[in-house]
Amino acid sequence: MVFNTGAALLDAIVLAVVSREAEGTYGYKITQDVRKAIDVSESTLYPVLRRLQKDECLEVYDRQFDGRNRRYYKVTEKGMAQLNLYQTEWKKYTKKINELFEGGVTA
Amino acid sequence: MNRIEFMTELAALLQDIPEYERVDAMKYYNDYFDDAGEENEQEVIAELESPQKVAVNIKADLGDRVTESGEYTETGYQDARFDDRKMPAGRENEEQKCENEYHYQDNGTSYEQKKESSSPRTSKTLKIILIIAILVIAAPIIIPIAIGIAAAVLGILAAVFCVFIAIVVVCVAIAVIGIVLVCSGIMSMIPEIAVGLALLGTGLILTVIGIIGTVAGVRLCMIVFPGIVRGIVWICRWPFHRKAVA
Repeated sequence: MVFNTGAALLDAIVLAVVSREAEGTYGYKITQDVRKAIDVSESTLYPVLRRLQKDECLEVYDRQFDGRNRRYYKVTEKGMAQLNLYQTEWKKYTKKINELFEGGVTA
Repeated sequence: MNRIEFMTELAALLQDIPEYERVDAMKYYNDYFDDAGEENEQEVIAELESPQKVAVNIKADLGDRVTESGEYTETGYQDARFDDRKMPAGRENEEQKCENEYHYQDNGTSYEQKKESSSPRTSKTLKIILIIAILVIAAPIIIPIAIGIAAAVLGILAAVFCVFIAIVVVCVAIAVIGIVLVCSGIMSMIPEIAVGLALLGTGLILTVIGIIGTVAGVRLCMIVFPGIVRGIVWICRWPFHRKAVA
């Protein structure tokens, strides 16, 4: 990928991926889903999840799966608010960039 | 490297972070391996690259959390502040270095000049004060150490003397035993000739060895003792002699 993904954008992507599952989702699946969109190395996602968890944007719980406890991540209310903020900001940002690229704004 | 080796090494590398952080990270990667499935184990390890890299990523986020300067790229977390950009920076540094060196030299000369003008006035009294201070502070340490060293030297000298004296005494004793054996040999020749001759022979040999040993020991002492005495005198005189010269 040509463009690097900043910390805020990666937070937004992870929140978006996790928010798609009402029941919450787990680390491996989050990684696979994020990697469908952007090319990040597998080891970068754990710190992001941990940080979002500490910021109370994500909550974790363990659930029995296949005879073991699997850790699930779920977006909190605060996380949803944060995601909405990211989404509006992203729309503004991409709109401006698109306009610039397409030569719409010359002011 | 297999999964167990990977996790063991990761756990070792995370020893310096809080326990709950370590437990959480280990749980995450353990789940990750479980969910990836056994058949993908090597693939996951290859993707994660190394326990070192995983640990660095975990710690980078723990270190300063509020930072927005980092970027997640294909190669992982990157922070421009930690990257050393070699091309332009190298030249800048060189220039700076030259400048710095120049400044240091300048400072050096002016400092030396100042020192020269002020040193003769204070040096003598300062020296005396320093010596007194050192003596006062060091006396409780130096005096016992000096006594200890003196005692050790005396002990060693006494031991050396004793060793040489012992050599002489042993030789004298051998000679005496030899003479006694000769006497008893002659005495016992009358009832039993064989025993008497054996005793006589042994006695003569021991007598000769004893006499030779005694003579050699005495000679040795005559050479060694004056040397030791001279050495002691020299050692005792050395500090005073030095002072006199100074």
